[in-house]
Amino acid sequence: MSTENTAHELALDHMTVRFGGLTALDDVSLRVPSGRIVGVIGPNGAGKTTLFNVICGFVTPAAGEITLDGRAWRPRPHQLNRLGIARTLQGVGQFGGLTVLENVQVGARGHRSKGEKASRERQSEKDALEALDKCGVADYAHRLPGALPYATRKRVELARALASRPRILMLDEPAGGLDPEEIRWLAELIKGAGTTVLLVEHHMDLVMSVCDEILVLDFGKPIALGTPAEISADDKVTEAYLGAAA
Amino acid sequence: MTDLREKSVAPVVPEKVGRKRRIPPAVAILLGAALILILTYTLPPFRNYQLATVGAYFTVTAGLTVLTGLNGQLSLGHGALMATGAYTFALTQNRWLSMPLSVLAAIVVTTLAGVVIGLAAARLRGPYLAGLTLAVAVVVPSVTSTFDTTFNSDMGLSIALDPPPGTIPMERWQAWLCWAGALVTAFLLATLTRGRFGRDIRAVRDDETAARLAGVHVARTQVLAFVVSAACAGLAGALFAVLAQSVSPGAFPLTLSLFLVMAIVIGGLGRLVGALLGALLLVLLPALAQTAGERSGSQHLEGNLALVIFGVVLVVVMLAAPGGLASIRFTLRRK
Repeated sequence: MSTENTAHELALDHMTVRFGGLTALDDVSLRVPSGRIVGVIGPNGAGKTTLFNVICGFVTPAAGEITLDGRAWRPRPHQLNRLGIARTLQGVGQFGGLTVLENVQVGARGHRSKGEKASRERQSEKDALEALDKCGVADYAHRLPGALPYATRKRVELARALASRPRILMLDEPAGGLDPEEIRWLAELIKGAGTTVLLVEHHMDLVMSVCDEILVLDFGKPIALGTPAEISADDKVTEAYLGAAA
Repeated sequence: MTDLREKSVAPVVPEKVGRKRRIPPAVAILLGAALILILTYTLPPFRNYQLATVGAYFTVTAGLTVLTGLNGQLSLGHGALMATGAYTFALTQNRWLSMPLSVLAAIVVTTLAGVVIGLAAARLRGPYLAGLTLAVAVVVPSVTSTFDTTFNSDMGLSIALDPPPGTIPMERWQAWLCWAGALVTAFLLATLTRGRFGRDIRAVRDDETAARLAGVHVARTQVLAFVVSAACAGLAGALFAVLAQSVSPGAFPLTLSLFLVMAIVIGGLGRLVGALLGALLLVLLPALAQTAGERSGSQHLEGNLALVIFGVVLVVVMLAAPGGLASIRFTLRRK
């Protein structure tokens, strides 16, 4: 691993999660250095989303430890926003009764950096509009999300994550249901986000083109960890995806 | 993380298109106050009394519509919370003879009751929450007969009210008091639900997981919403005590709680205008039923007719305007 000596923003050590008799994550370790884009891939049911749920505090691990900025950390979902961690959900988890702007404002809690004087509400609106603009959906600010096309709603979802000005962005299948054009746009956005990114994705081209490092899971077990080039050449990865060669 | 901030130095803030222009709450409240003042000087005493009742109902329906409409928590126990407020008002008023103090006490005690129920409610969803609040609605009135030395059982308590100042007739005074309470409540609720709190409670209603990830403390938001609406119910209870100049368990039956929920649904869930229309119906429909019952000459009809009319109105409104009366738009620009 090339990242041994850098400061790790987020690290998982020997993480194990069990649901009854099923071991969803089996001794998974992952170091996410600051500013890197780390992908998590694997066949369906490999434990990718479970890994995200552990980091977000939705699932309590049976064993293992999470550290944030080098300190042991027990995640709680509602505290992530304040700690600068934003996560998008698979599909679109939107508030149907709120306008697009309000949807994004829920994520923009109006945290001010020093020197900014706007009221929290103004700050929240400003952050939200900026994020919507960045995602190219500012025109829909006062529409309800339910009536918008799927790809647009995915962008709103991204905007909500970005509006909290996160330092760690966790994207759970952001390319799901998008066309190639949209995926190219998404790749640019991820590369230009300027944050640490954790990416769970099935779209291999996207993962290979944006990630600095990739973790491959299969049935909850980590089977490979390395750069995109190393991962594409790995026999175990091919086996996990295509089945064992006869 | 610094990169993101640097990029946002010169943001392209897009033009605000299609934002709904709304009347500021303060303006609406002042207009409402002026209207009430004019009405109280022109209406005969009994109509003034009915007007006062609308105000008292509006106080509780406004709080309930925030809880049920905006935060998605169904409460079938708000009648019991009103009873809590009314009894607290009666006991403090008879002891200290100070109306402001008694109203305050009613709000505080009911708010505390709201904290307790709200804490339990935040752990429950849907039918289980309805069940819990239903239990509250059933239990609270029966407390009065258990501790009958304090609450005087089914007979209730009469309240020693101060006479209205000067030569103001009692009904006009009651209308002023009730609408002062109602308008202040509506103003506070409108202000509270405009900003972040309003967004958060609606976000929790629509998707708890997404709300949590966006930084909303779901349980705290739910408890707060319950407490706010309980405080409104407490004030409304005190206002009903002022109206009746007495309290008894019979004034706060289970059907009251059900009527309150029906009223906000018919009026339009989650909207203060809807809560106002619902409060109006809560006074008008029973009055209509009574008139109809008297005309028909049947005594059996009288008690149940209000329920029938309410049910029919509910069905008709839900068929014609599923968003409630407040969602109906009278526009001539129809294509």
